[in-house]
Amino acid sequence: MTTPLLETHNLVKDYAIGGEIVHAVNNVSLSISRGEFVAIMGASGSGKSTFMNMIGCLDIPTSGTLLLDGIDTKTLDSDALAEIRNRKIGFVFQQFNLLARTSALDNVAVPLIYAGIGYAERRRRAQDRLEAMGLANRLQNTPAKLSGGQQQRVAIARALVTDPLMLLADEPTGALDTQTSLDIMGIFQKLNDDGITVVLVTHEPDIAEYAARRIVFRDGQVIEDAAVKSRRRASAA
Amino acid sequence: MKDVLTSFAGWGVNVAIALTALRTNLMRSILTTLGVMIGVFSVILAVAVGNGAQVSVSQQIATLGSNMAIVVPQPDSGSGPPRPSDRGRLTERDGQAILREVSGVSAVAPQIRSSVQIVTPGRSATTQATGATPEYGIVSNITASEGRFLTQSDIGSAARVAVIGETVANKLFPETSPVGETIRINRVPFTVIGLLESKGSNLGNDNDDQIVVPITTLRQRLLTTATQGPDDVTLIFVGFEDEDSLLSGQKEIERLLRDRYRVAKGKINPFTVRTTTEIAETTGEVTQIFQAVLVAIASISLLVGGIGIMNIMLVSVTERTREIGLRMALGAKRSDIRNQFLVEAAVLCVIGGAIGLSLAILAASIFERVAEFPAPIGLDTAIMAVAFSAVIGLVFGGYPAIRASRLSPIEALRSE
Repeated sequence: MTTPLLETHNLVKDYAIGGEIVHAVNNVSLSISRGEFVAIMGASGSGKSTFMNMIGCLDIPTSGTLLLDGIDTKTLDSDALAEIRNRKIGFVFQQFNLLARTSALDNVAVPLIYAGIGYAERRRRAQDRLEAMGLANRLQNTPAKLSGGQQQRVAIARALVTDPLMLLADEPTGALDTQTSLDIMGIFQKLNDDGITVVLVTHEPDIAEYAARRIVFRDGQVIEDAAVKSRRRASAA
Repeated sequence: MKDVLTSFAGWGVNVAIALTALRTNLMRSILTTLGVMIGVFSVILAVAVGNGAQVSVSQQIATLGSNMAIVVPQPDSGSGPPRPSDRGRLTERDGQAILREVSGVSAVAPQIRSSVQIVTPGRSATTQATGATPEYGIVSNITASEGRFLTQSDIGSAARVAVIGETVANKLFPETSPVGETIRINRVPFTVIGLLESKGSNLGNDNDDQIVVPITTLRQRLLTTATQGPDDVTLIFVGFEDEDSLLSGQKEIERLLRDRYRVAKGKINPFTVRTTTEIAETTGEVTQIFQAVLVAIASISLLVGGIGIMNIMLVSVTERTREIGLRMALGAKRSDIRNQFLVEAAVLCVIGGAIGLSLAILAASIFERVAEFPAPIGLDTAIMAVAFSAVIGLVFGGYPAIRASRLSPIEALRSE
């Protein structure tokens, strides 16, 4: 049996708010294997975003263990965590988070800067990814000149440019209309079919139906973890 | 090797990021740079003016003549009401005694100095007259650039002749050569026999605004106040053969004059003997202090410029907190973020420094031309300017940069 891509044991994240300790994530143990397509659901304040931030190595657990690709993240310093985010994880955000006044090509190339890739190689790889996203004629456009769907595809290209093991998408369709959301889900499904693990945080039940497995959070704990029945398919745009 | 190349690539990227960020807030960047620019400009100019003052002072010392002692009578500044005997005196006979008895003396030049009014038809000038002997020309290295200098026979006959400086000549004879013309000094007619070779001006002191007449003539014809004795002088220049004899000669002159004036043991000298070496040293110290004060004042503006940089960098970090969070999420290490903002501050400072340096060079050359005051900016000054700007960037950009790098990625990402 191969090691799971992601494993948590009794993961806890506490916040002190106004002198009171809030357990945002409370004792969560689960595992995600390579090639899975997981939707993490829950109402706001359920702990799903905090959980995602921890498995994305953006936030540090208060206690418990987080194994990423077999590595215990507790032992890593901030530089090593930065390297994991750079090499193993691709982030897609609700608000796209592209750099303004920066071309699509340069936006996609940003993670490669921190991977220490040279200029020419950065441009080549970024261009490949954008072309794969159907944005070959948008390379030099700044985010302001792109539609929401195009911006999110640039963001997905950026997430994929370092060939990560896992895509972490936080409400990736939250700022998009229904048709565009469908396109984006199609892209995720196709990427998943090609072998990449996708973890998606959403509060929309119909978006979650495009995933293969659904994990539901409430009050910092997992209350449901099951395969999605009657999974939906979207054709990639 | 790969690491070095990688970090090089990283720096290049940082410069590109910095330029984009600075272009985004162009007006703000320009105003911030202005602070550093003015700071570097004033520091460089202060250094240049200070250097110029030193050059000027050493030129002035050189125009005094080298290996020379200046003997000046010094009134007793001790306690009690002043008595006539306290007043310092110096005579031509003292000068002769110095020449006779002090070793290594090449020439003595006793002088009487007096302010005089010169009139020609239609023009007039007030200047300083030096009653002197031909030795004055030898000791203080003065010659006539036109006509001739004083001769021994001018002194013997108390001739009414004058050698005039260029400034005086330009005032009285703006279009023609003054040599051979008649001028009235304190109403007494004199013939101009020569034009003093120009010695320029140092620190606002015009060396060409003077005339030289025979000491005998000045004493007999031009003095308005009576002197104590028939051969009293204002001061004596004593020329020495070399620097060693100057050093020992200074003490010998003091001993000789104490003997001649029967100064009791323990009483202070009624005269002072200063050497050109001493004068060079003290004026050198004075100009150094002058330069230090100038640079210190100018540094304040550089400090203010640096604070401006820090202020803007803090604003920039705050505004771009989300971008910092994003970059961290995409794999930027703390050092990457720190370097990004350091480079941004450094770019601001280096641009400001370069413009400030260029403006200082321009101002210095205008200064040299208009004020005829040397303000040299050497390569060392230019390098100092660049180093200064870089240091300002590192010091004042350092804190905001480190603050940016310490942000938690998730909190930075969440900020609006």
